[in-house]
Amino acid sequence: MLRGLTRSKLRNKRNATGLLLLAIMCQLVLAACGDPTATTIPATTTAAPATTAAATTTTAAATTTVAATTTTAAATTTAVATTTAAPTAVPTTASLQFQGTEINILTFTGPQIAEPLQRRGPDFTKLTGAKVNIITVPFSDLYQKILIDASTKTNSYTGYVLAPQWMPDFVTPGYLEDLTARIKADKALQWDDVQAFFRDFSSSYQGKNYTIPLDGDFHVAYYRTDVLEKAGMKPPETWQDYLNIAKAFQGKDMGFGPGYGSCISKKRGAQAFWFIYDIAASMIQSQGTAQGTFFDQDTMKPLVNNEAFAAALDLYKETTKYGPPDELNLDVGDTRGLFDTGKCALSLDWGDIGTLALDPATSKVKDKVGTIILPGSDQVLDRATGKLVKCDTKTCPYATNGVNHAPFAAFGGWSGAVNAAAPSKAKDAAYAFLSYMNQPAQSNEDVTLGKTGFNPYRTSQFKNLDPWKKIGMSDTAAANYLGALANSLNSPNVVLDLRIPQNQKYQQVVLDTAIAQFLAGELTRDQTMKQINDGWEEITNEIGRDKQLASYKATLGVVK
Amino acid sequence: MRKRLFAKNYSPFKPSPLAAALSYLALGFWALVVLFPIFWLVVTSFKTPIQVDTGPFYLPYIDFQPTLDSWHYILLGDLQNDTFRNYGNTIVVALTSSIIVLFMGSAAAYALVRFNYQPRYATIGLFIVCVGLSIVAVLNGVPWQLAIVAALVIFFLLWQTIGRRFKAALSNNDIAFWLISQRMLPPIATIIPIYVLFQQVGLLDTQIALIIAYIASNLPIVIWLMRDYFQNVPLELEEGAAIDGASRYRIFTSIVLPLSVPGLVATFLFVLVFAWNEYLLALFLSSAKAQTLPLIVAAQNATRGPQWWYMSVLILIMIIPVIIMAIALERFIARGLLVGAVKG
Amino acid sequence: MSRREPLQVKTSVQGSPLIEEGLEPIPTTSRLRGVAARTEGVANAVFIGPAIVVVLMFAIFPLIVSLYISMSRMSFVAGGIDIKFIGFDNYNKLLFGSQKTHLLGLSSDVPPLGWVLLAGAAGLLGWGLLRYIQAKYFSIGGLIGRGVATVIVLAGVWLLVQTTLQAPGRPGTLSITLIYVFAGITFQYFIGLGLALLLVQKLPGRRFFRVIFLIPMMITPVGVAYMFRMLTDFGKGPFTPIWKGFGLGNVSWVSDPWLARLAVIIGDVWQWTPFMFIVLLAGLEGLPVEPLEAAVVDGANRLQIFRYITWHALLPVSTTLILIRMIEAFKIVDLPNVLTNGGPGTATESLTLHSFIAWRTLDLGGSAAVAYLLLLVVTFLGTAYVNLIRHRAVEAL
Repeated sequence: MLRGLTRSKLRNKRNATGLLLLAIMCQLVLAACGDPTATTIPATTTAAPATTAAATTTTAAATTTVAATTTTAAATTTAVATTTAAPTAVPTTASLQFQGTEINILTFTGPQIAEPLQRRGPDFTKLTGAKVNIITVPFSDLYQKILIDASTKTNSYTGYVLAPQWMPDFVTPGYLEDLTARIKADKALQWDDVQAFFRDFSSSYQGKNYTIPLDGDFHVAYYRTDVLEKAGMKPPETWQDYLNIAKAFQGKDMGFGPGYGSCISKKRGAQAFWFIYDIAASMIQSQGTAQGTFFDQDTMKPLVNNEAFAAALDLYKETTKYGPPDELNLDVGDTRGLFDTGKCALSLDWGDIGTLALDPATSKVKDKVGTIILPGSDQVLDRATGKLVKCDTKTCPYATNGVNHAPFAAFGGWSGAVNAAAPSKAKDAAYAFLSYMNQPAQSNEDVTLGKTGFNPYRTSQFKNLDPWKKIGMSDTAAANYLGALANSLNSPNVVLDLRIPQNQKYQQVVLDTAIAQFLAGELTRDQTMKQINDGWEEITNEIGRDKQLASYKATLGVVK
Repeated sequence: MRKRLFAKNYSPFKPSPLAAALSYLALGFWALVVLFPIFWLVVTSFKTPIQVDTGPFYLPYIDFQPTLDSWHYILLGDLQNDTFRNYGNTIVVALTSSIIVLFMGSAAAYALVRFNYQPRYATIGLFIVCVGLSIVAVLNGVPWQLAIVAALVIFFLLWQTIGRRFKAALSNNDIAFWLISQRMLPPIATIIPIYVLFQQVGLLDTQIALIIAYIASNLPIVIWLMRDYFQNVPLELEEGAAIDGASRYRIFTSIVLPLSVPGLVATFLFVLVFAWNEYLLALFLSSAKAQTLPLIVAAQNATRGPQWWYMSVLILIMIIPVIIMAIALERFIARGLLVGAVKG
Repeated sequence: MSRREPLQVKTSVQGSPLIEEGLEPIPTTSRLRGVAARTEGVANAVFIGPAIVVVLMFAIFPLIVSLYISMSRMSFVAGGIDIKFIGFDNYNKLLFGSQKTHLLGLSSDVPPLGWVLLAGAAGLLGWGLLRYIQAKYFSIGGLIGRGVATVIVLAGVWLLVQTTLQAPGRPGTLSITLIYVFAGITFQYFIGLGLALLLVQKLPGRRFFRVIFLIPMMITPVGVAYMFRMLTDFGKGPFTPIWKGFGLGNVSWVSDPWLARLAVIIGDVWQWTPFMFIVLLAGLEGLPVEPLEAAVVDGANRLQIFRYITWHALLPVSTTLILIRMIEAFKIVDLPNVLTNGGPGTATESLTLHSFIAWRTLDLGGSAAVAYLLLLVVTFLGTAYVNLIRHRAVEAL
């Protein structure tokens, strides 16, 4: 019976098995050599400048004498791509200072934020000899990667491009290098040109500088200029105006089919926990940045169980009526897409819509977009009583036209930091690279390109309209966009984002979940406020109220 | 004259025309359900961002003008190096770990079916106690190499002395259940200890780390699936070979394995797919050099929201090799066992 | 180390029809010489050794460490990680404290339907207990075990009934996960079985279908989740014109908890039906054909053949398959995470997602606690399932 299976067949099968085992051995040996380059392309992810030069149409245009904005100039020559280094860009005069040093910078997969780093890496290498590797991981996992890498002392990275909001969790254990001294000594950085807000708040923690800003982040409101003009409406000054405008345009055709009044991201686990504070802060903070928005400065009690926050919740929920039906599942990428394809009359966002709207590949509303400082409120919170009171010179010293604006510097702006545990030469090289990215010659160009994800943060970037005109903004649009950003930045009542230790738990877990449940109808308004209040109190008690209070005051106290 | 079961064109069920028509209807419907999302992926990969955002466009050239921008970006543009490096890593890691785990798991499954294990409660208890002791030692500063060796020695000593006194034992089924229960805990809970484990042996960011990790996580599945297929291999064949003088190993490799080819192939496909698509372990055990493809897919969801056009391209290039492998291996699943030929 | 007879068979399924009666184990060790005899003797260790070692290395250590983490609070301080032991605080918070409604849900009054379901469940379980008492393999230990299991299952049914049936009540992550698992597996199994039965027939072109049906399983789960996000998107998805055609232009599935859960279940079914399909197909292909031929000759129609022959023969494979799939299904995380991030509110959040969200913000202790609760639930269900099936399968044969 066994002869039914012929011996030769079994033998063949055995030989095949043997061969297979041999193949595995070879693969294991290859893999064990630990060098995946044996089977794959080299690991450095900095793309060759020639191929990316074609994608970035403005590398040749950086030198101010060029009038043409055609893309062919950059595409035909590879040598031109490397001449973006303006005279002031080089950190030192000695070239190839970092020959032989290799730095690994970790950030999230682009093209936003990572693309300019990858594009300029080779330029930096030519200038200083340091090899630059940009390593990217998914955005949602960046924070954990950094933390686990640093806390287990693996130290695979020399530097990071991260969110300043994460600083308390990274600085306290000592993972980030103190850059204060280097920044002071760095003339090429033109540190004073960086807006005071980013200099003194975003990049510093407890009085020392730990990061170099690469991107300016805060919320503004966008509107369709053509649509509002036709209806004879003015851009929204207060949140009630915002609602009125949204109501008027809900369901109306704005040139691209039936549209929506207002598109705000409300998805859980996305950015909704910032947008609620766009509304709430205008009612909670009126005495200037140092007053703070989230907690009471004496007791560390959350400022969420009061009339102002209640009104904000109601307003936030009401905007849902004038938005897309699936607004509860839209994150900021979706709302930007909706606005840029002409489906929304109003939107709230960081500075990205302004630049994205100019790109014909992503936008249908070029030259139809207006930007304005976040709407405000004519009533503010009396913290002693928890009730709303009318705005006057005492309660709202910084009001304009009786309206208190509180522009929210959400997120803080992507910044570069250096790993304190890296070898010292590598640290110097990493700092030099970050400084290079920040310097006006590079930065001024990058902030005009929508795909870089960098928004303006230097005074010169607001004053000089030329690079903006080069990318196609009309004079009025540039003035309007930059004006709104500058107004927001320069306001004395800017709202600082929460930067106490474990702020993520406060915002992304407690606040975000409660808001999501409120919008979904799982909680009533009062239950929501109570849940946020109790949740925040629980965390504060777990960590230590005095510690958190001291931290909170420290982050606010830095602003002059 | 033995009838070969399920030779390629033989089937006991030759459906009537009506049954065939209904079958095709049902099959066609499900094929549509399966293929439509893939079609949507293909179509999206040829769109520009604005075409994606403006609303559903279904047919290239008719509804919208297709472009190769996304393909260019992924395969030839900025992401090219990342894509090819990750692709290579995925292939090496998935193939290697799948082949190894297949053989390791089959051997264990065979053992669980044919041998009779009786691990004693005492042994297990002692083992856990020693592991616990070594962990406590490590947490208190003892170098881990020393702690592990000491724990092993203590275990061996105690086992030979005290362990012999207690006879209550478990059975094969319990071992099997313990193995499959390894998959019950969500990986998120064990990711940090595993990260530390690999960090201590210096294997972070290497393909080997991923291979080992995937072997460990896929073993239970292989064992459980192969147990069933091995149980269908008749004992007479093995006994006959034993009488002929074959050793246990030869019986396994020459008789049992060839007869279980459909099961082996199906299992191989599973573990390959699991290893190919695994995300969480790859995210943490790799940083620069050993990244795999699922990481870039997930990474397309950046601060601006998911970039559907790039993501579609990446998903498509990810599934093409696996589909080719499935096509090549499908015939082995369908061949059927030669078991029936042996009866009588 | 005692040496066992290599050919002594103790398979988990007794009475395999392929073993002839009265076959005695044939001793073979005397025929082998020297080294061969010794290696033969350790064969049982060699075969299973590598697997056990690998699993031990990766199982015990992380398990114990994460158990410890679940009972502590981790924070990152200067110099490394600070782990502070806090006992059962994390579990307290989950089961009785601030996370209670998140985990267990909000209960409401029980409508009549709920009482009916509860009574039905109690009846079924009681009947099962009775049968056990009358069965051959009765034992006191077994009775106690089954009694405990019955109580736990009834508690689970009570929880589900209280939280899902009426308006102010909403299910917590535990209930939602149970819903995903049971609904998902039911659909996956029956669709997979149907497809396998259809494709065992001799139909031209079946190879094409077999390959096509495998595709969903081959896409990385993260990719499948994003794909479904794309498909179900209200503004840009391909089904939008159909919704609008039905007049549902203003209703979005994201705002309704049950529709959102349905979306997740649909994605899950789409993705994992091939798993059931291919295993059942391999099982069907491997069945001996003689009994089937004999039945056809005897005049049985297809339904009878399926019911009396095929179904019973497939039972072993099916039970393994469902167990494996059940264990995996409890860990569902990518689809709810990407589709809705657990929204609207907490309507689609599974236990693993609950754990993941806590983990993302470095509440590692809380995250591990949720994971261990999940482990408990799955272990309980797995053990109950295996025990149930083992005895049923033995009886069936």
